[in-house]
Amino acid sequence: MRRGFQAAAGLLHPRALPRAPRTLPGLNSASAFGSSTDALVSRFCPEKTDLKDYALPNASWCPDMLSLYQEFLEKSNSGSWIKLPSFKSNRDHIQGLKLPSGLVAASDKGDWRIFTRCIQVAGQGYEYVIFFHPAKKKSVCLFQPGPYLEGAPGFAHGGSLAAMMDETFSKTAYLAGEGLLTLSLNIRFKNLIPVGSLAVLNVQVEKIEDQKLYMSCITQSRDQQTVFAKSSGVFLQLQLEEESPP
Amino acid sequence: MLRSCAARFRALGAPRGSARRSFASENVPDRDHALPNFSWHKDLRLLFDQFMKKCEAGSWKRLPSYKRSLPETVQDFQTLYVDPKLLKKQPISQAQLFTRSFEDGLGFEYVMFCNDAEKRVVCFFQGGPHLQGTPGFTHGGAIASIIDVTTGTCAFRAGGAVMTANLNINYKRPIPLCSVVVIKSQLDKVEGRKFFVSCNVRSVDDETLYSEATSLFIMLDPNKKLT
Repeated sequence: MRRGFQAAAGLLHPRALPRAPRTLPGLNSASAFGSSTDALVSRFCPEKTDLKDYALPNASWCPDMLSLYQEFLEKSNSGSWIKLPSFKSNRDHIQGLKLPSGLVAASDKGDWRIFTRCIQVAGQGYEYVIFFHPAKKKSVCLFQPGPYLEGAPGFAHGGSLAAMMDETFSKTAYLAGEGLLTLSLNIRFKNLIPVGSLAVLNVQVEKIEDQKLYMSCITQSRDQQTVFAKSSGVFLQLQLEEESPP
Repeated sequence: MLRSCAARFRALGAPRGSARRSFASENVPDRDHALPNFSWHKDLRLLFDQFMKKCEAGSWKRLPSYKRSLPETVQDFQTLYVDPKLLKKQPISQAQLFTRSFEDGLGFEYVMFCNDAEKRVVCFFQGGPHLQGTPGFTHGGAIASIIDVTTGTCAFRAGGAVMTANLNINYKRPIPLCSVVVIKSQLDKVEGRKFFVSCNVRSVDDETLYSEATSLFIMLDPNKKLT
């Protein structure tokens, strides 16, 4: 498959974006994607920060979500899992790094916010936390959709689940192999998620090949009795660059 | 997408242009969001005006868009399609349609026009600063959402209450945040309860193809309740 993003020239010379360069950054296979998962994770999860972490329990979390969160927190303490912080903007997650030249659309503005943290009132929009397992390149996302994510009366909008899948794929792809941009999403919806209930997304990296990360996801109820959806996602690997020192 | 059936009831419940009373808040009309507001980029306004002219000619129709369903709509839906065991006493007043849960200009600004004869729905979409993914670009999930809404509306116009079964999106180029795009969807075929819809997402000048998608919607069956 050599269409679209994979033909990187297409990515870096889009007419919609300003200042497209003629050369392709970061695609030299000898040096590209050298950052290990450990290095990526430690940069992604700063030890000390003033930034607000949205992936923490609050009063709106249902009992299922709280107890499963505790379970994973204990697993994180033993070292194999890591709770990912979740900041207001992806820019906050990549401090000191910048997008490869040619991909910069416009200067980042203070009021820009990551889509899945757009609704700030606790419990009304996306309530979620992602745990990542570096050794096995897999993630678990605990997701509770609020009433502002409604589609059909009483149920979460399919688009909101698609967004949660894309977001979990995105963080997994980044930490597992510097995946940056969504190439494709393929979602098979099975059952609707009632607003206010817990959905568990299990994401697994299946393979990394040809500059692409292939992942699968199954979204289920906590007891795994109900499958809400199955999906797969492909992400393009693109190395971020160090920001030039001031 | 199931929300489409709620949208239909909304559309039926209020003639175009009239203010609807939201049952949730006293005396605050639930406004039609598929109309220009201060945050609309001029490209979006131009497209809106262009298609409003087409509406005068008769084959196209603008679809109004509200934040909340009317209570009778919610009740009808639940009676027809939802297993009674699942119905909870949830404060309905809190619920809002996902893509209308933002203040003006911050999230999804969009308007849809349908051509029922040709089974097409066009959506003009401007993604705001709270839809960010990779810094400077629109979140893939936000794009998936507006594609789901557009293709779902297309299926709904043809088949009534439907549910998204499959959604396949190929992202060709990242969409810069706060830009305007055109989403064109059409019903490709119908097989019994299955509605196959495809769409593409392009720049206003038509020169850039951002994404392509195919989707499958299934008509809801009152004999098979949602559980």
